[in-house]
Amino acid sequence: MAGSDRAYRKLVRKKTMLSAEKEYKGILLRDCENQLLQKTEVFRVQLMQDLYTAHPDWIPKEEAKRTVYENRMNQFDTDIAFTMKQASDRAAKAIVKDPGCRESEEQRLSELQKQQALLREDYSNRLAQEIDAQLTACRDGGSAKEAALAEIEQKVGAYRAQQAKTAEMQAEKIRQTEDAKIAKLTAALSRVQTAPAGKLTLPEGVVLRVQDLCMYFGGVRAVDGLSFDVKKGEIFGLIGPNGAGKTTVFNCITQFYKPTAGTLLFENKAGEIISLPEEKVHDVVQQGIARTFQNVEVIREVSVLDNLLIAGHRQFTARLITQALHLPALKKQERIIREKALRVLEFMGLTAYKDWYAAGLPYGILKKIEIARTLMCDPQLIILDEPAAGLNDTETVELAELIRRIRDTLGCTILLVEHDMGLVMNICQTICAISFGKLLAIGTPEQIQKDPQVQKAYLGENNEEVGQ
Amino acid sequence: MFAAFLSTVCGSLLSICVTALSAFSVTIIFRTSTTANFAQGSVAAFGCYVVATYLNQWGIPVYLGVLPGMIAGVLIGLFIDLVVFRKGRHVGELGKQIITMGFVSLFYGGIPLLFGNPEFIPFEPFYNTTKASVDSNVVLNAFGGEIVLTKHALISAAITAVVLAALFLLLKYSKWGLGVRTTASSEFTAELVGINTHVITAISWALACALGVLAAVMYAGGGAMINTSFMGTIQVNAFLACILGGFSTFYGPIVGAVLIPVLSNCVGFLANFPAFSDISRWQMVIVYILLLVIILIKPQGLFGKKVVKKV
Amino acid sequence: MTDLNVKQEYLRLTYSDHHKASADEKVKKLLCIPLTQYLIFTVILGIFPLLAQMGVLTSSFVFAIGNTMIYAIMAIGFCLLMGYSGLASLGTAGFVGIGAYIAYYLMQIYGAPFGIAFIVTVMVSLLSGVLVGFISLRIEGIYLAILTLGLSEILRNTFISLKSTIKLDMSKVRLFGVKIGEEQVYLLILALFVLLLWITSNLIRSPIGRALLSVKNSTSAAQAMGINLMKYRVLAFVISTVYAAIAGLMYMMLLRNMTTSTSTLLSLATSLNILGAVVIGGAKSLWGTTFGVFIIYGLQSTLLSKVPFFVENPAFITMMTGLLIILIVMFFPGGVAQMAGNLVQKRKNGTINAQVQRRVDSYGRK
Repeated sequence: MAGSDRAYRKLVRKKTMLSAEKEYKGILLRDCENQLLQKTEVFRVQLMQDLYTAHPDWIPKEEAKRTVYENRMNQFDTDIAFTMKQASDRAAKAIVKDPGCRESEEQRLSELQKQQALLREDYSNRLAQEIDAQLTACRDGGSAKEAALAEIEQKVGAYRAQQAKTAEMQAEKIRQTEDAKIAKLTAALSRVQTAPAGKLTLPEGVVLRVQDLCMYFGGVRAVDGLSFDVKKGEIFGLIGPNGAGKTTVFNCITQFYKPTAGTLLFENKAGEIISLPEEKVHDVVQQGIARTFQNVEVIREVSVLDNLLIAGHRQFTARLITQALHLPALKKQERIIREKALRVLEFMGLTAYKDWYAAGLPYGILKKIEIARTLMCDPQLIILDEPAAGLNDTETVELAELIRRIRDTLGCTILLVEHDMGLVMNICQTICAISFGKLLAIGTPEQIQKDPQVQKAYLGENNEEVGQ
Repeated sequence: MFAAFLSTVCGSLLSICVTALSAFSVTIIFRTSTTANFAQGSVAAFGCYVVATYLNQWGIPVYLGVLPGMIAGVLIGLFIDLVVFRKGRHVGELGKQIITMGFVSLFYGGIPLLFGNPEFIPFEPFYNTTKASVDSNVVLNAFGGEIVLTKHALISAAITAVVLAALFLLLKYSKWGLGVRTTASSEFTAELVGINTHVITAISWALACALGVLAAVMYAGGGAMINTSFMGTIQVNAFLACILGGFSTFYGPIVGAVLIPVLSNCVGFLANFPAFSDISRWQMVIVYILLLVIILIKPQGLFGKKVVKKV
Repeated sequence: MTDLNVKQEYLRLTYSDHHKASADEKVKKLLCIPLTQYLIFTVILGIFPLLAQMGVLTSSFVFAIGNTMIYAIMAIGFCLLMGYSGLASLGTAGFVGIGAYIAYYLMQIYGAPFGIAFIVTVMVSLLSGVLVGFISLRIEGIYLAILTLGLSEILRNTFISLKSTIKLDMSKVRLFGVKIGEEQVYLLILALFVLLLWITSNLIRSPIGRALLSVKNSTSAAQAMGINLMKYRVLAFVISTVYAAIAGLMYMMLLRNMTTSTSTLLSLATSLNILGAVVIGGAKSLWGTTFGVFIIYGLQSTLLSKVPFFVENPAFITMMTGLLIILIVMFFPGGVAQMAGNLVQKRKNGTINAQVQRRVDSYGRK
């Protein structure tokens, strides 16, 4: 079978290396460009600095006044905030020790605050006065200044032109070497024999087919003869009362459970149709299915960025020896995947938390990290297990936006389980309702809302919550 | 031949008692405070030294001499649980186990300091309270041969049976027993339903250490030389008994504790056959390998239950 | 506002030299690279034999340092196993015996060169590690810990039954055809230790290290991200056993003599001590682990042997070690590494506090 074939593994490995090499080319070229800009900037800064050191009276007055004033006031505010925080910490400790002194402590704090406000005003005025005093004493540069500035611009221009030439040569060299490597890898890729096309087929446009899926735990029939198709690029919702077997279905698809019976066909990243039960659970992500968990399973011991690097684990093709000796190949791959992780973090809006340890972060952020992890693998199909659990209304609306954005930007299919009917009816194109492991109904949100069986089993006779 | 075989099996009676008491101690501590008590043997040895001092210096009969040892064990157990575990800042599961290891070193160094010469202290077995000339063996004539049992082993077996029976009855029917079983199931939930888990774990530690001392006294009385690490093999066997029987139940480790000495003696019995005459060298190796094979077949122990985490 | 010079300040803010790192910062950055630290360590410890020849240090001191490094090799492997993979194993000691006995049989009996003995040690312990790794997939937690204890006892008893005392005659040992004397053994141990330290440090900071941590934290998440549990568990055990076996090999090279039936090297005591060393130092810190090993194994033979009280009462040292373990776990669960980190943080905070205080005071004045 194509999935677990050695040839397939080799194919995937070469593909990963090829796409990594292409990314790396882009990174190197960007580096080249950035270096050029930086060098030019450094040169310019040096010249400006020399100029103004030689003629301190020529500095732009308004700008100087604003910069220095703002900087000093910011420093002041930070320091005051720091002292206030220390004071309030001390007060809190004192109150814990002796609750009776709460009033006096609070009074002391508010007095301190008033004091600081007065101090700020005073400082601000004095600062402004002093700055004005010093600046008015400056003479204007006049035409000499204009000439000097023009000369600087000329020099910078010349320098940039000169550097641009070397940069272009460098970029050309990079392009040549990288293109050679890419060509070599592409050739190697085409030489890899793929297994003959399997006998499995899926209709056009269907990315996942679940057919007569059965999952029995002893006498408990968690999933009993469930069938549905998920079309490519759609958002598919799975709903049902608690205990209906929804997470079990996901676990069967992602091979955390081996189904007792039934067929699971999936079109993987290479375009082949595979039978999922033949995959090992840790190979599923290579085929293109990424999932989140109901109980957020984030790696708490490492930072958010590291969580994403782990998610990109399969994209590291470095061997054990390379990793043990930290050979340059590893550093190159780390760079590539790190850049990718940073892009994903930006997409999810998590850049601020990049170096924070996942252990102490709020629940909503952890859920976002879970979703970010799925994006690292360039999945065909993303499975979200109750993504809105524990989120309030605003956060749920944001989540709906996010899911749509992911689907639209990456073109992947999304399969989700959710209890929040508003979210489900809002974003899903197809909904499948199950109960006690059996299919109740499947169709568009409108069809599901109207279905009498679904209403009885799940939505209740009163459809108030639905259809917002 | 069969008599000789039975004789060998009966020879493990004392080991069974000692291992059973130690295994029970390890189990009760593990179930209530999720700690593997690596100091079990050391505390037992310490208590044994206390007993030996009372016996040798003041000539107290061994039945009474056991008491100060057990009291010392109780105090040590309470100290470990109430002082060391509670006063520490966020001492987790692994931390508690490391602390017990620290106590091993502490006792290893402390026993020679407190008791002087650590190597050998003569010890009296249970049968003999005053006279040394009383016949120490009970001989049964059955199955065509002699089955030899020491009186000491029989008395120890009787004591062990009574103690364990009492404990199992308490576990099953008393309020304390219910508390222990609940805490063993889930400490968090036990606290929520109002069981004072601190008291439960403290009593468990006290009980475990006292039983350990009792086991050590029995073992020493059976002729073992006392030194700081003389309970070492017993401790290893007790741990193996626990995983053989499985930590899920309280009776599992006892069954394991019966199996291991019997198995060991059975393998040793093979030395009687000329083909295996060299087997005493490899006796422990074979026994441990057999145990490992059994555990691999049943990873949760003979009576264990597998806990599956829901994804 | 006596310190305000608007022009200078403007220049500083807009055109600062921030792109040029000062020499001071460069040195600091270099020191943070583990490789630099290890090289400095090698150099310092490498000149010890020279100092011993010159009479500055005693040769027994150098010997003790060598002995400590052997235990440190064991501990580094164990650190990876426990701190990064979260696998409990009490079997370290048994695998040490593999290296020791291979040293005896290959070098003493068959006269093989050191290189062959080394390779065979690595291969045999690799296979053992794979075996234990496979076992670990079926068994977890305390059951695994005690099982590895059982394995260790099996190995120990097997070795005792094979030959209860082993000796190595140094005249028979050759490395690349060159005879190895005592000083060379020390340098060889040092080289191996630093090499293994560096490799482990690399692995920790690589995708493999991250994968191990993810397996430790959440097996489900790890599998969902494509990490093969079996592969990484086996890897963790293999590293641990290979390191332990290498340590055993070097033990025979250094001490040349072991009476296995009475020695504590292959017993539970060593496994527990190594575990203690890792916990004292900080389960995820390699330097901390090395320090922990020094505390447990090195302190006694290097510094305390100078103090007569401790020479006469060796039991005290054991007690103190035990007490130290208990206290550190009670109050510093993260070990010495955590303590060091806290101290550095406190110092940084103190400096910041002082700076802010100075500025706040100056705001009020003219």
